[in-house]
Amino acid sequence: MSSPVEIWRNHKKLKSYLNKVGKVIVWTKIFVAPGGFEHQVPYLVGIIQFEDGVRMPLQIVDCEEADLKPNKQVITVIRKIGKAKSEEVIEYGIKVKPQ
Amino acid sequence: MKIKVAGTGLTKFGELWDKTLFDLAIEAAMESIKDSRYTVNDIEAVFVGNMIYGRLSGQNHLGAAIASILKIKGAGFRIEGACASGGLAVHLAIQSLLAGTYKNVLVVGVEKMTDASISEVTSALMGAGSESERKAGLTFPALYALMAKAHMIKFGTTRKHLASVSVKNHFHGSLNPKAQFPYEITEEKALNSPLISSPLTLFDTSPITDGAAACVLTSSNSGPGVFITGSAVATDTVDLSARLSLTEIAATKAAAQKALKQAGVEITDIKVAEVHDCFTIAEIMAMEDLGFCKKGEGGKYIHSGATNLRGKMPVNTSGGLKACGHPVGATGVKQIVEITEQLRKRSGKRQVDGANVGLTQNVGGTGATVVVHILQN
Repeated sequence: MSSPVEIWRNHKKLKSYLNKVGKVIVWTKIFVAPGGFEHQVPYLVGIIQFEDGVRMPLQIVDCEEADLKPNKQVITVIRKIGKAKSEEVIEYGIKVKPQ
Repeated sequence: MKIKVAGTGLTKFGELWDKTLFDLAIEAAMESIKDSRYTVNDIEAVFVGNMIYGRLSGQNHLGAAIASILKIKGAGFRIEGACASGGLAVHLAIQSLLAGTYKNVLVVGVEKMTDASISEVTSALMGAGSESERKAGLTFPALYALMAKAHMIKFGTTRKHLASVSVKNHFHGSLNPKAQFPYEITEEKALNSPLISSPLTLFDTSPITDGAAACVLTSSNSGPGVFITGSAVATDTVDLSARLSLTEIAATKAAAQKALKQAGVEITDIKVAEVHDCFTIAEIMAMEDLGFCKKGEGGKYIHSGATNLRGKMPVNTSGGLKACGHPVGATGVKQIVEITEQLRKRSGKRQVDGANVGLTQNVGGTGATVVVHILQN
């Protein structure tokens, strides 16, 4: 997905997103994926609103679609983003799971 | 100074394996020049609307490429604003005429999407969204699915409401020989189609399409043509999460307000419209955002038949993006062509009687760019 330089630049910001509690505003289950995400199909993504009011689009993991409802409480976690080729740097980023 | 559409051209939309992007652009362009009273030598500039050809094929520099292939000795530009590229090309062409820089210009919207795999095209289209949306694996169907979810939660919009958009646009498309899918579908077929991104299914989703649309615009006082009396652009955050509301496209309201004011008409004066139904929920929101119906009632409004060909307010007589097809950079120009032909009474089986004022709404991404045009006889 991202180049080694982009990954290096982004990882400095990751720390500030750890252990943040938020709520799910809307969500969808994706069945047709773009390149790099095929191995995860189907996967859940939602718009999450955090306690500071900021909203972010994030993948929802360790969860079934049936368990989701508006304002469901979630917490941020670090997970792999996409799928790195054997010679690429593995990219990690923020996702959310039910709290 | 008044701006006229002096000629229009349109290729068939569909999976056109034996046509290159340039074949499509030339076909639409030459048809529009022939349809006008001008020749290639009268055209002073070409404005090309195209979103992803550079990424998919490696070929950029389309303004010069298309101008030179057409033997137009003048300026060439490629304009990009995601799925609003075509509408933006029309808007900028108009500005160049209003500025007096040129007198007669050509606008070509063109997209060649079927040379690449679906996965490559899906990834390329995600460029219309934000980086955080791409990192979350949010495809365009998924982004609009989030808006559909929000609309269903807030207003009780149902899947049957969504399906009614698809059924109507397929009925209109069945009357359009240039449409990618010129056949009707039933509500049952729409409701039972496979999920792409819940709650949106295959029949809520516009297809991947090759095609081109073109128009000759002039500021000349003489000669026939349909007037473009309003042309406005509004922008909003690219990131859907940063919007104030998930259940409306605020840029539609802003652009429509400006365009209607320029034209000196109200939304109630509009007799026919082409709106951006990239996904069925988008047409429902467009009805509300443009002011054809009240906020939250878009689903009921369309389901009632009000926007059918023989209804009070026909919308997407071309078949919309769903049935006519969505060659991304071409759509905004195709909308201008469809409304121009309606006003010239050349729409055959899908002619709206008495259409003399029309509107087009072209959206980029999830609503970060909206272009609205008003056309009048």
